[in-house]
Amino acid sequence: MGAKLSRRDFLQLAGAVGGSNAVFRAAMGLGLLAPVARASKPELAKPAKPRKVLILGAGISGLTAAYELNKAGYEVQVLEASFRAGGRNMTVRNGDRIDETGYQQVCNFDKDPDLYFNCGPARIPGHHQNLLNYCKELDVELEPFINDNRNAWVQDDAMFGGKPIRAREYMSDSRGFVAELMSKSMKPEQFAAPLTAEDYERLREYMKYLGTLDPSFKYAGTSNAGLAKHDYTNPDVLKTPLDGRELLKSKFMAIMNFGETDDQAAMMMEPVGGMDRVPAGFMRKIGHLVQLESQVQKIQVLPKGVEVTYRRNGEYTKVKADYVINCIPMHLLAGIEHNFAKEHAAGFLAVPRGKLFKIGLQMKQRFWEDEGIYGGISWTTQDIQQIWYPAHGIHRKKGVVLAAYTFDPNAGEKFARLAPADRIKLAIEQGSKIHPKYGDYVETGVTVAWHQMNHMLGCAAQWDEELWKKWFTKLQAPQGAHYLVGDQVSYHPGWQEGAMASAHHAIADIDARERAAGKAVHA
Amino acid sequence: MNRATKSLLGAAVALVLAVSAGADNKFDYCLLCHGANANGNAGIRAPKLSGMEPWYLTRQLENFAAGVRGTPGGDDSGHEMGPVGWRVKHENVLGDAVSFIGGLPSAKPVATVTGDVKHGKQLYAACAACHGAKGQGNEQLNSPALAARSDWYLVTQLKNFRAGLRGADERDTYGAQMRAVVATLADDKAVADVVAYINTL
Repeated sequence: MGAKLSRRDFLQLAGAVGGSNAVFRAAMGLGLLAPVARASKPELAKPAKPRKVLILGAGISGLTAAYELNKAGYEVQVLEASFRAGGRNMTVRNGDRIDETGYQQVCNFDKDPDLYFNCGPARIPGHHQNLLNYCKELDVELEPFINDNRNAWVQDDAMFGGKPIRAREYMSDSRGFVAELMSKSMKPEQFAAPLTAEDYERLREYMKYLGTLDPSFKYAGTSNAGLAKHDYTNPDVLKTPLDGRELLKSKFMAIMNFGETDDQAAMMMEPVGGMDRVPAGFMRKIGHLVQLESQVQKIQVLPKGVEVTYRRNGEYTKVKADYVINCIPMHLLAGIEHNFAKEHAAGFLAVPRGKLFKIGLQMKQRFWEDEGIYGGISWTTQDIQQIWYPAHGIHRKKGVVLAAYTFDPNAGEKFARLAPADRIKLAIEQGSKIHPKYGDYVETGVTVAWHQMNHMLGCAAQWDEELWKKWFTKLQAPQGAHYLVGDQVSYHPGWQEGAMASAHHAIADIDARERAAGKAVHA
Repeated sequence: MNRATKSLLGAAVALVLAVSAGADNKFDYCLLCHGANANGNAGIRAPKLSGMEPWYLTRQLENFAAGVRGTPGGDDSGHEMGPVGWRVKHENVLGDAVSFIGGLPSAKPVATVTGDVKHGKQLYAACAACHGAKGQGNEQLNSPALAARSDWYLVTQLKNFRAGLRGADERDTYGAQMRAVVATLADDKAVADVVAYINTL
């Protein structure tokens, strides 16, 4: 190519050849765009002197820290209170124990690699770079996870008498209804920014595409809402648009963009065989450093190092370490003896604990596939809130469906108060509004009330803007050689990526201290 | 048997049982919520149990197991305790659990409630008849000790009695008595005042 390309020409050319992804990569190369996410993993130096780090908790943050510090040459010991590693990253299969403080359960799914249930994290977005890097490094095989399925159902007692409709109908018809109203009623003078006649026309065009309106700006239905029937030997017949006023009665409007949000948009992934392949991958490397069933009772920050007392088989043992990385949920840490500064410890009581609740049901038949649903989520305004259909094991006989996943703490409480069999009964009752013969397919189930699970007693910390402003820095700041970590000390609670970022933050600080100390020795 | 001998004997029995019950991790889940040595955890609204009378612990675990306590809406912490009571009852370890708690060293709780102690003292006159002038409790009257408890927990329970979240179940005879007495505490301030006074006992 003889003529010198301008930057813009180059990007256009790259787009023509390689599509938008090529443009994106090229633009990144030219320094025009920030990368989507940057892994936070620090490069650790080998400590100049032998250093022991005691890690409290073998959840994702603890395992991450243990793995990296061990690799860098630190002596590492991990104390885990539970009988299992992984923390809230928990997958259950045939025979697994669900250790709720009150109601103990055993998972009775058939013994089958596709019949598992991710009780905690269940999906990974493409920009969770730390987690994805670890999956790669630890040979955790990934497959696509279907989060958003327009063929799935939306059910709300407030609209159409509670009759479920396809998500694609809700979204297309409500957008059509709103776009038609807006494009017919909006006037240039209503906008704060001055619009030229051309701007205004473009805006109307945009509304036309947004709502799939006809040339006269009328919404007359769209194939986006699904055809009346899929008979490809005859002309397409559109569904009659649903009554827009009825659609707007549904609270589904608040969640309809769920599959477009930063962490929930395609392409999502999950480990083949269950999310607990992630901790299993870490455990393959550092499992020998993890001591289970060891519950911490006391933490004393010393002038140098930290002393921890734990209880195992009824015996109390003291361990001293140069550093402690503490992943214990703050609301439990509040009940452990310690000598932290008041302004640090007060934060443990300030941030409320989450109360998410999930149910997994083994279905004897993958009936949802007969309804054209392969993976994804149906939404309801009932307490169960969601039904997830597995995207793995398609066309096999059975499958495990997520039959409840509550975000509202009151709904979580409501389920948690019931005995497991009654929780399942309630979930079946509610699910039957979406799939009429739902209960007939249920063989067995598991229920997970995170705020009643042993060693957890809560889900993601419930931060808000005020709390973050007031407490985050105080909680993140080390107490001597003691670091509080976990997704609870991140701006991404409830995600493994947040846990990893927090662990990285702490080990980077330890590394900096050790490097500084090493220099002092050599000077 | 005088009181001193009785409590000494009680402590010795508790100690023996604690050794046998504490030989494994069976009751570690008590400490999970109720904190190290069951000295309480305000973070999870789990009160201090160490130092509680065994007869009182037994009765309350029985109440939780039977749904006498922890069932009406609004008492979230009570709801969480409900299934735990059910479990210890149905695993036939209720007595062991009580012994385990009895074997833990009790630390003086940190005061968190502030109020008008003078006013609290006047109000406490109604409590003293059953719970004792020093808040030491009286088993004969089915009244547990109030001194050296988690003070925020006393506040919660007084409010629960008042709101009918505790003591409303017809099987809860002693709770019903408390509901009647708690009517003498006019408002939240009165509750705080009386608990602030109990903190001085």
